[in-house]
Amino acid sequence: MNRESNRIKDASKKRVLDDDTRTRRLKKALGALEVDNYHDDPHADLVMSKKVPKFSDSFETRGTRKKKGKGPDYYKQRYRKSFSQLVEEDRHFHPEPPNYTSAEAPPSSFPPRHFCAVCGFFSNYTCVCCGTRYCSVKCLGIHVDTRCQKWTA
Amino acid sequence: MSNVYVIDNGAYSIKIEHAEKTEPRIIPNCIMKAKSEKRRAFIGNQIDECRDASGLFYILGFQKGYLINWEAQKTVWDYVFSDQCCKVNFKDSSVIVTEPYFNFSSIQEAMTEIFFEEYECHSLLRINPGDLSAHHYSTTYTKVICCLVVDSGYSFTHIIPYINGKKYKKGIIRIDVGGKLLTNHLKEVISYRQLHVMDETYVINQVKEDVCYVSCDFNKDMIISQKKGKENTIAQNYVLPDYTTVRRGYALPTDQSGQTDNQHLQLSNERFTVTELLLHPSDVGIKQMGISEAIVASVNSCPQETHSYLYNNIVLTGGNMKFAGIEKRIYMEVRSYVPEEYDVSIHLPSDPVTYVWQGGVQLSRSSNFYSHLVTKEQYEEEGTQICYVKFDV
Ligand SMILES: [Zn+2]
Ligand SMILES: [Zn+2]
Repeated sequence: MNRESNRIKDASKKRVLDDDTRTRRLKKALGALEVDNYHDDPHADLVMSKKVPKFSDSFETRGTRKKKGKGPDYYKQRYRKSFSQLVEEDRHFHPEPPNYTSAEAPPSSFPPRHFCAVCGFFSNYTCVCCGTRYCSVKCLGIHVDTRCQKWTA
Repeated sequence: MSNVYVIDNGAYSIKIEHAEKTEPRIIPNCIMKAKSEKRRAFIGNQIDECRDASGLFYILGFQKGYLINWEAQKTVWDYVFSDQCCKVNFKDSSVIVTEPYFNFSSIQEAMTEIFFEEYECHSLLRINPGDLSAHHYSTTYTKVICCLVVDSGYSFTHIIPYINGKKYKKGIIRIDVGGKLLTNHLKEVISYRQLHVMDETYVINQVKEDVCYVSCDFNKDMIISQKKGKENTIAQNYVLPDYTTVRRGYALPTDQSGQTDNQHLQLSNERFTVTELLLHPSDVGIKQMGISEAIVASVNSCPQETHSYLYNNIVLTGGNMKFAGIEKRIYMEVRSYVPEEYDVSIHLPSDPVTYVWQGGVQLSRSSNFYSHLVTKEQYEEEGTQICYVKFDV
């Protein structure tokens, strides 16, 4: 019966995360929503094996493009600016709006809504340690056990 | 010469076909690697040959909506344009190809170079997808002089006003929420609450497409989704593929809920809270307004006299506009933000994914189509500069 409240008492003894850490956590969470893959390339360990054709030449060798065309490798070398380089360059070339940077949607004028990080229902409470939202003692318990101090950010 | 190919080159899928056809082919714009098949990668629709799509690894040409990985894009294009896939003949053809709003200069140059020098097309038109949607809309509703295009794809969502057929760039708003973010959020939520599916983008994307919807009464749906048993009319079990007996996941009919031996997900509020990010990016801490609010902000940045036309001609395009309920929800919200003297009217095309491509076909049939094009000859004489003059992307 008392397990949950003990757990929560334990949690309250733990360190309270400062604002910087909380911002870092949010940034990390938002970054994770952007990635194409969570896991590593399943063929990564095959890279050294010569038997395995690279995806670029697996196509080429089937002989469908016989003409002189430049391979994907050429374009990789020719155009290799990162996204942030392109944004920076654009700021330089098009300093006057409208441009990529100026088109970003401004913040909402409505107050943010709060949801329980555990079950997704409406949340009225905030974890004192990390600022995560929760809806009930049950969900706070799960949060403390699984995430609260366990993320490294 | 009426030999035209229309290519809506999306970050997630390429919509491509000769303009004399009635429908485009839709081909994944990526290279995929499977755990189960280590001797090859799958390019585009070759993924249909993959027997076990668990743990699929993606290589995409686009990053944050812009073409960054040219090696990947070139590989996909080489395949898609080849005899193995679409069997195009660009040499004697005009090519209409889409690229994102405010596309960066060096990407524009690369596009021009590749289509003229590598694929040797006869003439080229690089254009924003919204321009083709606006054109499509104006051929359907010929009396309309303004429209507001909502273009919500894999990487992001744009609101683009068109006044007298011309894009009003100052009014364009970008929300950094697209289909990828929704799928990743759904993956994260399911992985935390019930089953580790972080490596299963392919499958969870199908879950999203199969069972997610946009709520038209969010508070009520939240309460229903908390209920137990039969009272919870939102709860939905979803059978996951095991690639032996189940090749593709599917939603279990509600009367059989709980009656399956297969591994399955139990979805409830996930069905509609994930799509909320399109309307409230702040739900996950993105400090940007959602679609309905951005529609109002976009209109407000346009000349006053266009407002009534824009509100009356909102066109929804892109894959995210296929979620059930999205049209009604956007209408309800915009209606509540906008003064009563304005009529609000929303057009949801029968297929919001191919609407852009269809618009390209219609443009290719318009009387002044050739005035939009840059020919290979012009390019060889004047270089990439002429494309900046002719193309407004
Ligand atoms: Zn909760
Ligand atoms: Zn906490």
